Amino acid sequence: MPGIGVYVCHCGLNIAGVVDVEKVTEYAAKLPDVAVARHYTYMCSDPGQRMIQEDIKAQKLDRVVIATCSPRMHEETFRKAVAEAGLNPYLLEIVNLREHVSWAHSHERKKATKKAMDLVKMGVARAKLLEPLEKRKVKVERNVLVVGGGIAGMQSALDLANAGFKVYLVEKSPSIGGRMAQLDKTFPTLDCSACILTPKMVDVAKHPNVTLLTNSEVTGVSGFVGNYEVTVTRRPRYVEEAKCVGCELCTQVCPVKVADKFNENLGQTRAICIYSSHAVPKVAIIDPKNCLRLKTKKKEVCGKCLQACEAEAINFEQKPETLKLKVGGVIIAVGSEVFDASKMPEFGYGRFKNVISNIEFERISDASGPTSGKIVSPLTGQAPKTIAFIQCVGSRDKRFHEYCCRVGCMVALKQAILAREKIGEDVRIYVCYIDLRSFGKGYEEFYRRARDLDIDFVDGVPSEIHCAQDGTLYFDVFEKGTNKLIEIRADLVVLANGLVPSGDVTRVNELFHASRSADGFLLEAHPKLRPLESSTAGIFLAGACQGPKDIPDTVAQASGAAAKIVDLLSSGEIELEPLKAFVDKDLCSGCRVCESVCPFLAIEMKPEVVDGEERLRAEVIEALCQGCGACCVACPTGAVRAKHFTDEQVLAQVEAACAVGEN
Amino acid sequence: MGLTDLMSMAKPNLESREKILRKLRSRDPINCFQCMKCTSGCTALKLLELEPHEIEKLVNFGFVDELAASDIIWTCVTCLKCVQRCPQKASPYHVIMALRNLSVEREAKVPEALMKAVSQILETGLAESYQKVTTRKMETCDRESLKLPKISAPTESFQAIFMKALEER
Amino acid sequence: MKVAVYWGCRILTSQFAYEMSVREAFPKLGVELVDFREAICCGDPVKSINDFASNYLGAKVLALANSTGLEDLLVPCNRCHFVVSEAKRLMDEDENTHNKIAALLKEEGLSYNPEVKVWHVIDFLHDHVGLGCVKKAVVKPLKGMKLAVHYGCQILRYSDLGRVDDAEDPRKLDGLIGAIGAETVDYAEKLDCCGSHLMYSHVDSGLSLAGQKLKAVQSLGVDGLVVSCPDCGTMFDAKQKDAAATAGAKLNVPVLYYTQLLGLALGIWQNKLGLHLNQSPVDQLLSKVTI
Repeated sequence: MPGIGVYVCHCGLNIAGVVDVEKVTEYAAKLPDVAVARHYTYMCSDPGQRMIQEDIKAQKLDRVVIATCSPRMHEETFRKAVAEAGLNPYLLEIVNLREHVSWAHSHERKKATKKAMDLVKMGVARAKLLEPLEKRKVKVERNVLVVGGGIAGMQSALDLANAGFKVYLVEKSPSIGGRMAQLDKTFPTLDCSACILTPKMVDVAKHPNVTLLTNSEVTGVSGFVGNYEVTVTRRPRYVEEAKCVGCELCTQVCPVKVADKFNENLGQTRAICIYSSHAVPKVAIIDPKNCLRLKTKKKEVCGKCLQACEAEAINFEQKPETLKLKVGGVIIAVGSEVFDASKMPEFGYGRFKNVISNIEFERISDASGPTSGKIVSPLTGQAPKTIAFIQCVGSRDKRFHEYCCRVGCMVALKQAILAREKIGEDVRIYVCYIDLRSFGKGYEEFYRRARDLDIDFVDGVPSEIHCAQDGTLYFDVFEKGTNKLIEIRADLVVLANGLVPSGDVTRVNELFHASRSADGFLLEAHPKLRPLESSTAGIFLAGACQGPKDIPDTVAQASGAAAKIVDLLSSGEIELEPLKAFVDKDLCSGCRVCESVCPFLAIEMKPEVVDGEERLRAEVIEALCQGCGACCVACPTGAVRAKHFTDEQVLAQVEAACAVGEN
Repeated sequence: MGLTDLMSMAKPNLESREKILRKLRSRDPINCFQCMKCTSGCTALKLLELEPHEIEKLVNFGFVDELAASDIIWTCVTCLKCVQRCPQKASPYHVIMALRNLSVEREAKVPEALMKAVSQILETGLAESYQKVTTRKMETCDRESLKLPKISAPTESFQAIFMKALEER
Repeated sequence: MKVAVYWGCRILTSQFAYEMSVREAFPKLGVELVDFREAICCGDPVKSINDFASNYLGAKVLALANSTGLEDLLVPCNRCHFVVSEAKRLMDEDENTHNKIAALLKEEGLSYNPEVKVWHVIDFLHDHVGLGCVKKAVVKPLKGMKLAVHYGCQILRYSDLGRVDDAEDPRKLDGLIGAIGAETVDYAEKLDCCGSHLMYSHVDSGLSLAGQKLKAVQSLGVDGLVVSCPDCGTMFDAKQKDAAATAGAKLNVPVLYYTQLLGLALGIWQNKLGLHLNQSPVDQLLSKVTI
């Protein structure tokens, strides 16, 4: 006869403040097969756990029921505790007296206590039928995939490579570096972005443990945590990486001008070019949509680059390559995009040449950019006399994106300071804001620096921007501090376009089944305590793809994600929870309904010979199964069952709940 | 009385505020975070000193009674720019209209011409009366002379029904 | 095609030219207009007094449209279009108000039909009749004519309600003017308000706003200003002299309803389009149109 121990937790006053825990314990003690019933202030504490462990040993308990907070809080803790006392950890039942009783019914003590007693009775009924289960160990691959070669991806890759893991770094553009490579200076130190970034880019490219796959994208994913198989497609550069020396002679002779994507379409480059000023790898790439030979598909057309290239690196016949990689874990670091302000026509972006975005300002300010670092008004090419920064464009706006983009204020402060330092005193600089957020280390001091430089902070934003005949912009702003309407005329307006989820996030969502939060960014497992894990086991998040953030937070998160991977893969194997579905083959008719309803593709049909005939029988792929139970419900014969949640166990609870004639 | 005069004796009245929010069928106005967009673009600001952001804030704090008794709420041009541009859907125009309704309910100030329009509707169904107009050549015309069709006035029952509607709070 | 038409107050009582030009031009585009059984205010001035009563009137307009048996309602006035659209939104989404208003409508044997679609002259011509159809019917394209457009406020804003054209970059009336052979000119003050609502309480400010806009249009050097709302029409045309006095400017801007120009392009005689009624100096524009 099983002896059950029932333990009722006070949870301080969280439970005991509403539920009469003594009464519940007395009630539990009288239930059939209950050998001992106790209550205690904090069951999860050391003394609480020890109490349970001593009872298990002394009273030879073979089932334990703990009536406490949600199993999501401490089920793992309690399982470890009973295991240490020699009892199989799956012979433990948690009854939720907090989220399901005291917190939900805090104003009805009597009814809450009655409900608590009913729930404990149900828990005991189920506990009787629990079976011992064992975790299973699976071997894992020691390779890691990092998707995205910006600062987040690069940092994770370096940390993992240094820790001895083999890393595949996949980047969709022709060079790594991401958004940070487009920046001029970084706040709050005003470090030159390229100067602090390029050493890392070179380290990544040179590291023996890193395989750099640029101009590539992930096109398929299968498998499960520890054993992923990822398909990567390498798009052709039409230039051989091993041969190209980065001399750029090809670019000089190419007749086709194309918009320069790295420079935010502010300048032009050629159909064959090196993607960015500090590109790694420093290898040319041909744009097949604009290259005369490639788009006409005629072999006699142009070919000037072919003639000019002394390294004989150009290869118009290059084809896309498909790689299949086996990895144990994945870090998603695909970054974000900048809000397209042409969605807010009232500010004139896209219509008025002198209205630019913050990222366009970065390229103008950067010495390697289209104006060689001179800050100019796009229309005149001259230094502006008045610059106005407008904050929160597309952010904090229910019409577009509700969230705060987190970096807009600091970027504007930085750009305002740079404008002052580069142009001098002869320019009037306004920053029109709703709130000025300078929250990080050194950030408030940076804001002070901006004010000291005679930059005018206008507490209020305009409703619309107009353009005069000569291209100058004018607008009115009502200013909170002075309670006056200020009329501003500017020859350069810089919009603080917010960071928004990139199209890549949608792809990642589909390929890796990594969920997205309501704002469109990738969803972390817990907003406070698990910011680096996605909703899928083995897939981790780093950088702006999880939410807009600045460089310090990105780097911290990237290193954290790398550490998570080390944690996951370093022992060479992982344990799988045994709470999976299983098939009683004798009852399986091979109807395949379970296979069709499984959302995780965790059921396969295996052919078997039965009585001389080949039949299909369902089999659960334990590593993929998440124990959701959909197959169990769908199975017409009851052949598929969920371990730890069998029909008998669940129905026992129902019967206990419905039993008539109780106090 | 000007708004400043009224505000110097002001005490918040959250009940009145609830009346306004219930009329608006929305709690969005309490979301206003004072970005100044509405006032920056307000058509009535320069000529009549209407500051929609101030109205939002005063309502949020509960100074509804003072606003309902003020002149300022009657300066709104109803251009709807504030509704279009507000990033928090706080819709100052709708708040102002609700304040106007409250002002009428309490028989505070209402522009005469508006009251005239309403009584005209009660009498004839239309807010304006049929006019004679002159051409550039100083000839007089009206609907009849221009051969425009006559459209009947509403039946007698309309007046009572409209009165009933006007009594709804 | 048939469409029920609701004129509101101002068109019926004073802005006859708008009504005349719509009644003359639309049949030439194959559109038959069906009037209501009675003339009633949409409730625009009542919005400031009692929004329930105003919505009742707006819903009554929709119910009167329903009585014609047609499911398309043409509302040539901007303000009526806005009031009726807000009333429709409320009838469709607020059960409580819907029931109260439905009871009042029932007393006059009327009922609200959610299928009735509300059109303005601009989107009716641009989207329902179609630009192509308008173009085809043109016999006298207004070649060489340069015009400034005034859409007005209440048919463009607020976007969430579903309006006639894009609130920040409206192009449909520009397209309709292009279809009759003329050109339009963009200008910074394009979306500015005519000030008509202020005529109830702050007449000088209202006229000032109208005057400011007319000044801006005048400096463009265009042949005229096109409107499509009787309130805007009253401010810019009938009250141009008063606006000039208030704004302290000399104003000489021809102001016409789009449908008057449309009528001209369709070959209809001037006076049938009420062009003799416009108070602004339209003769200088008409002289450019080859008769």
